[in-house]
Amino acid sequence: MRGYHDIGGKDAGPIDLTELPWQHWEKQVEAIRNLLGDATRRVMSLDELRLGFESFGEDKYRRYSFYRRRLEAMIDTLEKKGLLTRAEVEAEFEAVRARWRPACRGD
Amino acid sequence: MPPPKTVSIRFRPGDAVRVLDLGLAGHVRTPAYVRGRTGRIVGFVGCFLNPEALSVGNTSGPMVPLYRVAFEMRALWPEFDRNEADRLYLEVYEHWLAPATASDADPKRRESDHA
Repeated sequence: MRGYHDIGGKDAGPIDLTELPWQHWEKQVEAIRNLLGDATRRVMSLDELRLGFESFGEDKYRRYSFYRRRLEAMIDTLEKKGLLTRAEVEAEFEAVRARWRPACRGD
Repeated sequence: MPPPKTVSIRFRPGDAVRVLDLGLAGHVRTPAYVRGRTGRIVGFVGCFLNPEALSVGNTSGPMVPLYRVAFEMRALWPEFDRNEADRLYLEVYEHWLAPATASDADPKRRESDHA
């Protein structure tokens, strides 16, 4: 039983050592993950999140970045627990985009 | 919350151990490359909730002992030809470990583990 994420020791070619700066949204994903998993809330453990991205399919796993995997698995897990729906999250993304769009155009 | 139950510790530093292949589906913290391989206990890390249980939302325990295990590089990568003193250190939960036997050190056995 070897998951698609369990790549230790496999041939992978040269490792890309480019330093990537932390994006603001990536920090937010990590902050929310920490709050959901802390000792007082215990809404979702880190291991639940890991099971999420280790089982949501190899195609997504390979396509998504580290924090995108976490974000997607977090939404899946919270939806499974009945705390929110993906549609609600998408609607909120859209509302936030709409708030920022005019400023970004320089209107 | 009830007081934590006492957990007995099966291994001591210096013990030779073999990593089991439990064949579990779902979230496990023991990578494939170390399963079936032999190493040595270098330390007891502590007792923690089992991540396999946590991954499916079970936070009620029991706690499981976690050990730091040292592996000779050639036990993991037979073609390794660098510093003999190099070790790979990995933290492994107790239920993934068994006492190593003499036949565990046989390279032929390691080959068959690869198959």
